[in-house]
Amino acid sequence: MNVERDRLHRALNPKTVVVVGDKGPNYQWLSNMSEFTGQLYSVQLDEKEIPGIEEKGIQNFKGLMEVPGDVDLVVCAVPRQVTPFIVADAVKKGVGGVAMFTSGFVETGEELGAQLQEKIVGLAREGGLPLVGPNCMGVYNRRLGVKFTNNQEQGEGGEISVISQSGTHGIGITIGAQNLGLAVTRTISIGNAAVLNEADYLEYLRDDPDTSVIVMYLEGVRDGRRFAKLLREVTRVKPVIIWRGGRTKAGAKAAASHTASLASDDAIWDALLRQAGAISADSLEEALDALQCIVRLPRSSKRGLALIAMTGGQSVAITDQFEKGGFEVPELQQKSYDRLGEFFITIGGSFRNPFDAASTIGRETDNLQKILDILADDANIEGVALEMQARDFDQGTERVDGQVKLVQQYRERTGQPVVCLMPEGSPGQMGPEVVTAARYYVAKQGVPVFPSFARGAQALGRAVRYWQWRDETGT
Amino acid sequence: MADIITAARAEGRLLLTEVESKQLLQEAGIPVAMAHLAKKPKKAVEIADELGYPVVMKIVSTDISHKSDVGGVVVGLRDAKSVRKAYKEMMERVTEAAPNAKIDGVAIQTMAKQGTEIIVGSTTDPQFGPVLMFGLGGVFVEVLKDVSFRVVPLEERDAKQMVREIKGLPILQGVRGQEAADLEAVESLILRVSDFIETHPEIAELDLNPVFAYSDGALAVDARIVLTEPNGASA
Repeated sequence: MNVERDRLHRALNPKTVVVVGDKGPNYQWLSNMSEFTGQLYSVQLDEKEIPGIEEKGIQNFKGLMEVPGDVDLVVCAVPRQVTPFIVADAVKKGVGGVAMFTSGFVETGEELGAQLQEKIVGLAREGGLPLVGPNCMGVYNRRLGVKFTNNQEQGEGGEISVISQSGTHGIGITIGAQNLGLAVTRTISIGNAAVLNEADYLEYLRDDPDTSVIVMYLEGVRDGRRFAKLLREVTRVKPVIIWRGGRTKAGAKAAASHTASLASDDAIWDALLRQAGAISADSLEEALDALQCIVRLPRSSKRGLALIAMTGGQSVAITDQFEKGGFEVPELQQKSYDRLGEFFITIGGSFRNPFDAASTIGRETDNLQKILDILADDANIEGVALEMQARDFDQGTERVDGQVKLVQQYRERTGQPVVCLMPEGSPGQMGPEVVTAARYYVAKQGVPVFPSFARGAQALGRAVRYWQWRDETGT
Repeated sequence: MADIITAARAEGRLLLTEVESKQLLQEAGIPVAMAHLAKKPKKAVEIADELGYPVVMKIVSTDISHKSDVGGVVVGLRDAKSVRKAYKEMMERVTEAAPNAKIDGVAIQTMAKQGTEIIVGSTTDPQFGPVLMFGLGGVFVEVLKDVSFRVVPLEERDAKQMVREIKGLPILQGVRGQEAADLEAVESLILRVSDFIETHPEIAELDLNPVFAYSDGALAVDARIVLTEPNGASA
């Protein structure tokens, strides 16, 4: 659809929201909007439902046309057969847009569902109405407190935007990011994407000053040619992480030509994401892991890392994973070895890269600081992966705070990425509850942290490949 | 060039012959071993005399998609006599293997010097439209499926990467004393094919199989073009 950007902007950043067709006992949609900073109204015809709505202090009207003033966003939760009337009214009233929660359209595979979708799509197109969905969770806007689930945060800030073909995964990415202290500006659950498609939303986010990183969950796209072209443009300006679901080798036809027989859906998607410089993820964890590195770390495409593990065994394991992730573990400069030799405890430890450092770092952070200072001065080192200890976290945050502070100082001083690894079951570590709590605590301090070496290596690898792509395209 | 496609359309054909395909490709600046149509043995000999021996003879029929499966390819014909003999025998073999196929004649082309076999092809993805494939020829594509894809149009960096993405890259770079292939020529061929496909949405599938990569240059030795269904064509 040829979207009028201003109108879509109104729908995604509404001052006035009308919820149509919400129902008790929970009044899910009106409750979701309890922190909405703008004007909220309800439209409900059902006499049984109206008292419950008014009890919440929300003014109810019998029809959309009766609502006073401009309406920016209509959240539509009516039964499917009523949707054409709501869309017609929305067009007549000139609302910014409609987010249609109602389902039962083409996704059912039924004739009636398909006909109804065709009808609302026709009405919306004719009226130039941006319609989000149907069959979706709609629109979340952090700053304005427009939500589609209660645990989405309301507040200032946020630079990440999420587009999801699945409502569940839209929520999963948003809440998952929040848990890591990463604020999501907006999430759009696009459902059947019948009027506005993936490319329309991507185009909006490209030009959205409140979005600096985009995360998408996609199973397929409707306007593939435009999407492909657009994606190549957007990634030159902002990182785009794409978690693709429903990966399948199917789609490759038993065709006469070699090319057609090998061109599976999966192969083409992989090629496109690589070609377009998008960051590819296969799961929620991979998407969130990459997001931590992209949002938190300075831009760097370099691969020479210092690996600091706490024991000999872990120093082997961390090296295996980071080498597998495409990183190098270079020798340090001689002057670094000289300086390390002055204090490093080499009985039961080693300062050859990778480091086996528990005996040196011990309970104090002084020696970790010394090590990081030396690495910062070493021309061979372009980033650090540190096995961080959760020791004593059940007693207080002090020890972890000390390590976080050193990591942040190193990052600021060198402009290099640092990732932290807090795997369970490391020697000297606490029980899993404490390690997990410590990990989320560290993430919220702004330091990327991962529950395994492998995940940390893969995540940093994704970020580094993206920045390399930006370097190569001169953007 | 539109004439070839228009003519095929007029005949209700989707498959272009090798001769037609190569003509289109040559006009688009893609290096191909040109093939010339001969409908009679005498003409075949004339063409061979003109091109110089040895030559290759291949069956020309829009009903036959894979020529070698029906005995429709003979290489290394060294003189006029062997061309005449090959013509007669090929007609007998093909008629027996594919009795219902309408045969236009044979294509005669210069026997290209052997190079490293690669494949460059395109197909139409239901979501993203035309896509390009690159791989090493023969067993590498058929058994190991060691290929790389890109969505059309390609940029220079895409061609560079797709050539370097395959596991068999060392073979192109020269192993066991073999000369290294001219990767720049391969990349340039890929980019020209991308342009060609982009400007011709009426092409649904293209296989250049094999292309010979040499230490200096690259040459498409066989070519096959399939058009989109007349009404299914969308730009």
